[in-house]
Amino acid sequence: MLNNYSISTKLTLMNIVVTAVALIVASLGFLAYDQANARAELVTSLSTQAQIIASNSISALDFNDPQSAHTTLAALAASKNVEGAGLLTPDGRLFAEYWRSPDVRVNVLPSLHPNQPETDLFFPSHLTVIRNIDFGGRRLGAIYIHSDLGSISERRNHFLRILGVVLVACMIAALLVSALFRRAVADPIAELANTARTVSREKNYSLRAKPIAARDEFATLITAFNEMLSRIQERDAALRHARNELEQRVQERTKQLVAANRDLESFSYSVSHDLRGPLEIVNGMSYIIMQQYGRELTPGVKDCLDRIDDASKRMAQLIDDMLNLARVTKSEMHRERVDLSAIVRHIAEELKQREPKREVEFVIADGAVVQGDAHLLRVAMDNLIGNAWKYSSNKSPSRIEFGVRPSKGDTVYFVQDNGAGFDPRSAQRLFQPFQRLHPISEFPGTGVGLATVQRIMQKHGGLIWAEGAVGVGATFSFTVPDDSA
Amino acid sequence: MTSPAATRNSNAKRWLMAKVPALRRSPSLRAALVLSVIALLIVPENSAQPLSSPTDSQVEAAYLYKSGAFVTWPNPAPDDQFAICVLGRDPFEHTLDATIAGEAIGGKKLIATRISSPQEASQCRILFISSSEESRLKPVLVALNKIPVLTVSDIPDFADRGGMIQFVLDNGRVRFQVNLASAEQSGLVLSSQLLKVASAVKRGGGRD
Repeated sequence: MLNNYSISTKLTLMNIVVTAVALIVASLGFLAYDQANARAELVTSLSTQAQIIASNSISALDFNDPQSAHTTLAALAASKNVEGAGLLTPDGRLFAEYWRSPDVRVNVLPSLHPNQPETDLFFPSHLTVIRNIDFGGRRLGAIYIHSDLGSISERRNHFLRILGVVLVACMIAALLVSALFRRAVADPIAELANTARTVSREKNYSLRAKPIAARDEFATLITAFNEMLSRIQERDAALRHARNELEQRVQERTKQLVAANRDLESFSYSVSHDLRGPLEIVNGMSYIIMQQYGRELTPGVKDCLDRIDDASKRMAQLIDDMLNLARVTKSEMHRERVDLSAIVRHIAEELKQREPKREVEFVIADGAVVQGDAHLLRVAMDNLIGNAWKYSSNKSPSRIEFGVRPSKGDTVYFVQDNGAGFDPRSAQRLFQPFQRLHPISEFPGTGVGLATVQRIMQKHGGLIWAEGAVGVGATFSFTVPDDSA
Repeated sequence: MTSPAATRNSNAKRWLMAKVPALRRSPSLRAALVLSVIALLIVPENSAQPLSSPTDSQVEAAYLYKSGAFVTWPNPAPDDQFAICVLGRDPFEHTLDATIAGEAIGGKKLIATRISSPQEASQCRILFISSSEESRLKPVLVALNKIPVLTVSDIPDFADRGGMIQFVLDNGRVRFQVNLASAEQSGLVLSSQLLKVASAVKRGGGRD
């Protein structure tokens, strides 16, 4: 129930409660002792009065004078708590009695034995003492005094009133003393808690809890807390330093890699370019031989020349593709609105004209407009649609679809065919240059096309990926972000 | 407090408290009832005997020796006895002897003695002058003038005529009058306790 109070309040409450409980327990103990004392004192007092009355009643008893005895008993009127008293003769008769008022009269049957023991009878609100009266070795009778316990309860009430006042005073004192202790106990904790809260809210580890002069557990706690903050701060700095260093190193490496890549690309470009010269000569020479000496040649030589021609043409294609790839990498981007749907339709027409005998169903989505380089995107779509045309040649009718679908806030374009497909486990290898999943005899090609497409998409800040299964078909999906840097 | 009677008292008290609910409500009623029960429990042994009221002479005999406890004499008692003498015709007969048998005052055994002349009174502490001496009361008192003895009688106007204690009948009850001056003349000191219960205390009218 105290959980929601601050330590300061708890300490104050604790002090007050402990003070009150201690005081009350001690007081109750003292009260019990005092009440027992009061009873003993009352018995002693009544006993003394009984003795005095008794010794003054000797002659009255001896000479049978109840009137005189009553006069003597009536002196008890001076005793505030005595309600009545009486004298009994040895044979148990009531000799004389006195009552303060008829209301308080208690009908004591005067039948006490001559050897009645002297007794103190305690009742809830009264006390009766009985004392024997002896004179000259003779028993003259007995006296009883009946008193209320008003003095005891009055004493108790008086004590309780004082206790109440002292209790209030003690609680006020405890409250004041608590204020002193609060400075030593609660304030450092509150200060520490405040600092901890600020640190955790602002993530500011340069803050420190205020040290205290005392050399207690709080001081240890505060020192440890501050040390912890220092450690966190140091570790933070080290972490930031390491991250900066790493970033710098990555930038350097990237720069080196870019440079190396550029060198490599210009090298391969020049190599490809330089390869063309000798190839032209081989090609040209074999053409001249066929033209000028064709008739003199044996069929075997002619066959050889045909093969040289084929190979050199294939090599020329290879060099062209490599140059294309290198050019894609090197060329500058010119961003503009490009209608991919129109490009695809154009390519489809070209392909149909080239091989009018093939039955191919084209499904082309409209309105696929992107921001990009028109030339490069034309090359990319040439490759993708060309691939689809090529690898679906063994299906009749073939089906080629160019479509658009939204995915996670991006627009994804795809080219799908129902051709030979590929093993999904090899999907990544598709985009590496000169990597082919099918033998050349089955599907001709250089293995550079998809690498070129990937390079183009990367230049646009987009992605390309492939899905497919052997004999079912392939789907190439790509994204072209609207505003890549 | 550990006597059997006391234990019986507290047992009775507890039993009553448990049995009678009204007792728990009214303290004074409770006290009354409890005291009554205690009183009933402690039945005196002699209360079963028939109470015959004592005769006047029995009362007078008792008063005669009881008054001795409230008087101081100027001289020590002769021998080790406390003599109560009767002058003249003894009205008590055996009653006096029966009353004082085994009793003592101030550690001295009581004895009853009959004397025939006032001169013999020097051995007495208390002297009862019989009504047979009424006619020659004056010479008797004169003779006793120098003897420290407590004179007691039931002769009318005994106190006024110089006697010390005179028995009188008051509403059928035996009481006594005291002549303090007579006692003082003989050097006797009467306790205030004795005077308190006297029906009259006279301070003059001594022996002349």
